[in-house]
Amino acid sequence: MKQSILLLLLLTAACSRGPKMVNEVVAVAAAKLPTLPADSAWDAAPEHLAALLPQDLVEPRLATPSTPQIRVRSLTNGSEIAIRLEWEDASKSETPGPSKMVDACAIQIPEKMEKDLPEPQMGQEGKRVQVTYWRADWQATVDGRGDTIRDLYPNAAIDHYPFEAKPLEKGSDAQREMALRYSPARALGNIRSGPRAAPVEDLIATGPGTLSPGPSLGAAGKGVFAAKGWTVVIARKLPEGLSPNQRTSIAFAVWQGSQQESGARKMRSGWIPLVRRNQ
Amino acid sequence: MARVNNWQIGREMSYWYPEARPKKQFAAVFDTNKCIACQTCTLACKTTWTSGKGQEYMLWNNVETKPYGSYPLAYDLKLLDMLNGQAWNGNKYEGQTLFESAPAGERVLGWRPEQQDYAYPNVGEDDCANQVDHGAFLSLPHMNWFFYLARICNHCTYPACLASCPRGSIYKRPEDGIVLVDQNRCRGYQECVKGCPYKKVFFNPLTNTSEKCIACFPKVEQGIQPQCFVNCIGKIRMAGFLNKPEEARADNPIDYLVHIKKVALPLFPQFGLEPNVYYIPPIHAPASFNRQLFGPGAAEAMKIYRNAANDPDLAGLLCLFGSTEKMVTRFRRQGDLVTAVGDGGADLVRVPMHETVHIRPAIDPMNQLVRINIP
Repeated sequence: MKQSILLLLLLTAACSRGPKMVNEVVAVAAAKLPTLPADSAWDAAPEHLAALLPQDLVEPRLATPSTPQIRVRSLTNGSEIAIRLEWEDASKSETPGPSKMVDACAIQIPEKMEKDLPEPQMGQEGKRVQVTYWRADWQATVDGRGDTIRDLYPNAAIDHYPFEAKPLEKGSDAQREMALRYSPARALGNIRSGPRAAPVEDLIATGPGTLSPGPSLGAAGKGVFAAKGWTVVIARKLPEGLSPNQRTSIAFAVWQGSQQESGARKMRSGWIPLVRRNQ
Repeated sequence: MARVNNWQIGREMSYWYPEARPKKQFAAVFDTNKCIACQTCTLACKTTWTSGKGQEYMLWNNVETKPYGSYPLAYDLKLLDMLNGQAWNGNKYEGQTLFESAPAGERVLGWRPEQQDYAYPNVGEDDCANQVDHGAFLSLPHMNWFFYLARICNHCTYPACLASCPRGSIYKRPEDGIVLVDQNRCRGYQECVKGCPYKKVFFNPLTNTSEKCIACFPKVEQGIQPQCFVNCIGKIRMAGFLNKPEEARADNPIDYLVHIKKVALPLFPQFGLEPNVYYIPPIHAPASFNRQLFGPGAAEAMKIYRNAANDPDLAGLLCLFGSTEKMVTRFRRQGDLVTAVGDGGADLVRVPMHETVHIRPAIDPMNQLVRINIP
């Protein structure tokens, strides 16, 4: 009997120290938004446990479910919103390559606060969704990883780069121009092609396969990998029209590189209410 | 899935998009019997297009020694193994194509090479099909065989890379049928790398986009053949444009070799992509092996090629391979002279089918000396 009471007391104490759980994402007011995942300011925000489903609506589909759920907290300073996503991942995948996918996550919010929500999977024609996307390899670049093949693969064999041969001067405009000829994605300004200055990007979509660079929402982010997995902070402008105590919706997606997840092969949530609170 | 006509397999098939043939289709014929695997084509391409950062491992053009050579490793064997029951009934393919055998949730039956699969770009080089025992090499015909297979993107009529891309980043140009990855739209999902059975799309880890052979389109637009064609030492290649079988022209070199003589055949037609690089099969390799690679027409193509010496139009056209850097869209033969004609109708080059041969007597009668040839 004594043991049972002790156990009950212990359980009660453990529960009181755990995060407050809510069934929607609550963006709590904060004077200053934390940029780091471990900031104690996150303790003020309740936690939402979002269940994820494999993307199985359009081909190519995710055949084997991976990340079952993510833990979500949110804070807002009245003009920006910050979301912290946590999920379990046994391996850190931050080096892209042939058959090497990278870990990533994204948040999705309807562009307009309307009664009829866009399709939860990437929106629809006439009902755009704003996507803020974070990637582990971009985080590695922002954290200081270099922009050469040997930064990714230290033992890579390199024969010759013509733009690094004489008479081109190192660091000259002529050298940069010639290097771009062998890097068409960068020459065209594909924002994805790096080298990246931020680990996140602002995107817009009107349905599967339509993702494209969107108007800037001031996206920022920071991801940290620890023993259990990733904790990622994504910040962007507060959704337009989201006043205190009003609701819009939010959806999440997670990619595990080690599970060959990329593009349409992802774990995703449906729409989840997102409410702004002053307290 | 739409229903489209694939003449290479003699039937309709399912494809992700409706049939939309280009105004002209870039196409090529490679004569495997002439290739010496000098890899000049490989280097011409490499120095022109893939000398950048993140492209180190890419070979948009490669030459592999068959039966064992492959780049990436076992690209063909893996898929042949996955695609069961590749039966032909005459010229009609009765098995399933890569599109028809796509598993649930997939667009194409495919697989994605690992990094190490790219680590041996010339594996199996010059390896014979069997061991050569007990001085067998001293007698003719040789019992063992190998041959060289030069490969670029096939600029397929029904590209699996294009079908695989979930965001439409790959397109087939309506003006010439060249298949390109839009480097501004690509987000590097590597679905195309998985989908292309020939493994001619490569992921660039520094730009996060996938890249592939562009058929040197800036040259083709000016009526000039691509780099790997004009630099070919063995003169094994000819680039041009291919019509549909029912619109074949006897004076179009590619039409003549592919549709009329049927001496040049697609690589793995059973995959269902209607590839547009055509191969004259190696005449010293077993017909059964050629059939697996080039389809049911292989044995007959070998016979026709062997008889080329008695077929002046075919022999004459083969003389035009490597004779001009321009794209040859027409040709004609008058007696011993073959003429290549360009897109505008102008004659590009005239080639004699038989070179005049002068034999100098070994003895110089004036000086009463034996002549010694020096380089």
